[in-house]
Amino acid sequence: MDNRQRSDTTKRVVITGIGMVTPLGIGKEEFSRRIFAGDCAVAPVQSFDTSAFSSHCGAEITNFQPRDFISIKNIRRMDRVSQLTSAAARLALHDAGLTVNSDNRDRIGIVLGTSFGATDITVQFAETLLKDGPALVNPILVPNTVMNAPAGHTSIELGFRGVNTTVTHYAVSAETAIAYAVSEIRRGAADFILAGGADILSKFYYEGLTRFGTLSPLDKKIESCRPFDLGRNGTVAGEGCGLVCLESLETARARGHKPYCEIKGFGQGSSRTKTPTAWPDDSAGAIMTISRALTNAGTPPQDISVISAAANGGTTLDRIEADAYTEIFAGNKSGPWITALKGALGESFSSGGIRACALALSFEKSALPPTCGLSNPLAQLKFVRQREEEIEINNALLAGISFGGTYVYLVLGKCPDK
Amino acid sequence: MHMQVNKRIVITGLGTINAVANNIPDFVSALKAGVCGIGPLDIFDTTGFRCQNGGQIKNFVPRDYIPQDFSLKRMCRADMLSFAATLEALRDAGLYPLPQELAGETGVVIGGGSGGLLEADFEAERFYKSLLENKGIHVRFSRLSTVYCASSSDRIASNLRLSGPKATFMTACSAGATALGYARDMIQNGQARIMLAGGVEPMCRITYAAFNALKSLDPGVCHPFDRDRAGLSLGEATAIMVLEPLEAAQARGAKIYGEILGYGVTCDSFHMTAPDENASGAIRSMQAALLDSGLASEDVDYINAHGTATPVNDVMETKAIKEVFGKRAYSIPVSSTKAMTAHTLGAAGALEGIVSILAIAHGFIPPTINYRNPDPQCDLDYVTGGARPADLRVVLSNSFAFGGNNTTVIFGRYNERGARNG
Repeated sequence: MDNRQRSDTTKRVVITGIGMVTPLGIGKEEFSRRIFAGDCAVAPVQSFDTSAFSSHCGAEITNFQPRDFISIKNIRRMDRVSQLTSAAARLALHDAGLTVNSDNRDRIGIVLGTSFGATDITVQFAETLLKDGPALVNPILVPNTVMNAPAGHTSIELGFRGVNTTVTHYAVSAETAIAYAVSEIRRGAADFILAGGADILSKFYYEGLTRFGTLSPLDKKIESCRPFDLGRNGTVAGEGCGLVCLESLETARARGHKPYCEIKGFGQGSSRTKTPTAWPDDSAGAIMTISRALTNAGTPPQDISVISAAANGGTTLDRIEADAYTEIFAGNKSGPWITALKGALGESFSSGGIRACALALSFEKSALPPTCGLSNPLAQLKFVRQREEEIEINNALLAGISFGGTYVYLVLGKCPDK
Repeated sequence: MHMQVNKRIVITGLGTINAVANNIPDFVSALKAGVCGIGPLDIFDTTGFRCQNGGQIKNFVPRDYIPQDFSLKRMCRADMLSFAATLEALRDAGLYPLPQELAGETGVVIGGGSGGLLEADFEAERFYKSLLENKGIHVRFSRLSTVYCASSSDRIASNLRLSGPKATFMTACSAGATALGYARDMIQNGQARIMLAGGVEPMCRITYAAFNALKSLDPGVCHPFDRDRAGLSLGEATAIMVLEPLEAAQARGAKIYGEILGYGVTCDSFHMTAPDENASGAIRSMQAALLDSGLASEDVDYINAHGTATPVNDVMETKAIKEVFGKRAYSIPVSSTKAMTAHTLGAAGALEGIVSILAIAHGFIPPTINYRNPDPQCDLDYVTGGARPADLRVVLSNSFAFGGNNTTVIFGRYNERGARNG
């Protein structure tokens, strides 16, 4: 008899917990209140001097106290990304009503997306090597230079030993991580997986983005993040960690925990770009991937009620994304409501985790938070502006689009009551 | 509950460049002959390090591998190596040039190095140098993308006009192995028809400095499972496989190397750089892979060990193998090919996946070379007397990493009725 563990594509995967450390608050109460109120976290950068750069704003986490979430023993070994991740993981487990114990620890895991990892530590490490030579390199720094450090530290801090992996693919890191976690739950590789993304706003990261001409202002105009706005002139750098706790619908029901929503399916795709750092020229890749995701989820386009967009105020990204939605939902008067949360949170490249948390809250509240910074939309789409919009949400799309031509779309759906 | 029968995913093409060979046929010969690719590095200045050796790739002239149709201008060493191996794997699979309708459903997943900036060849070092020297004023930030390892899968996909899924794993030394498992899942889930999967790790002074600082490097040449082993030797490599569903491979009459039967991923939750001496993570990783493949421990014919030659790893892994395989542990051949190729970090899991598949396809067990003295704590059959001919049906390959990440992949010989019935 073949006792092979079978991948069960009919297994329904649900979100039962959310945890986040963001520029708009730590933990779901504060985050929910501020994001739905349309608060914007963009402000002059405080953690380093920006006078040499052409931009000066960012969306920083300013009130994070690692001690509120992490044990003294582990805290001093952790870099900042690891601290944010451990804190968000603790919050997500708590929200999911899970306590790690010797019975379940081997069945709880984490799949983390990070686009750049601990850039603060890697720069420090490289600086010593280049300036002072190999002998003066500090071995204490080494463990935190690897991108899988945050997930490793988190597993040590919280004591879970199941599936543990780290994905990096620029701006779709978190969406890829969530998609993989869904497939791992279906494969039966774990019972509970924390999935999402974490990145920090380091000076190095900020400088990198200014050099790429990614940050507002490119042209000395107003510096702000204005997704889908005709006057957009670049994005604003952000940071944060958002994790969702995934499990199967059966486990959630068996333990009597009400899910926020279901992840019905996903699609992933690629398209060619002129250079490694260029955004795609057109919306073809996004359209192809959305259609893959909808097919995978068995959800027709007209059933999509809301979209959490990838738009970040960048000239190309926002245009191709709007084009894709216009194309797919054209002629559909009751087309989906769209929000772009990077207007409030800035661009951390692994924001998909935080945006997944926000979508989970949207299902709970039947409302979508507004797009900060949007006053003159570049397309005739139903953008949520100024204030939250009350919407009966049946199905939602979470968008991930990266420079280099990579796409991940997740389809979320309302959880059946019985 | 309705259970779907898993699609069987087979390997139809292989490509590699590593310290002992620059293509698959040469790699088979080197593995059989027990060639050591570790020696003095000339790729960068090793002054000031405890060790001057490594497993460096020899005679890699990109244009010998990559046709003129593809610009090398924006490719770093990792990009060029992995793209060259991808082309070899596609040719080997009879899929080059890739028909347009297949490219639309082909994806790529790469396991990258042990840490973003650290692992990305000289570009990283040049980048930081210019950053420091110019105080950030004239740094060429166009280089930044190639410093991150997601750049390699981007270049492969862009060059070959692939529109399937694209992902990059960064779990240090287990990344290449996880990439293979992920690729299998993506095909089984219907997200792709073909996956190009593997890893790449270029030799990098910054990475070398990290292991140097941790005192993990053997000052000479690594000798896994040996009593006097003194650490690992760092190497560079790329290893890429072509994966597709069995029916598709059969339909086009492709040569089938073998099958990915299962994989398992676990975490130590113990320490960031030291393995758990109780070997719990490694034990659970092998068990998870066996469960995923539907095999019993008796089915495993050969274990390609992680075998880094650090004092702790080799004892821990030996212990884990004994725990999983019981008394049979002593009769299963276990070898570490890192004594030949050196430890290629993010690429290692994929490279050793290729070793496992070649061992199955060519009927031999690659040896653990450089072995001199038995260690009472490492008392398994490490295949120390040269390569052995063997009829292998099932091979298990371990990859354990910093951060406590463990991945085990199980490969099988292809036969119609499945690996256990061969």
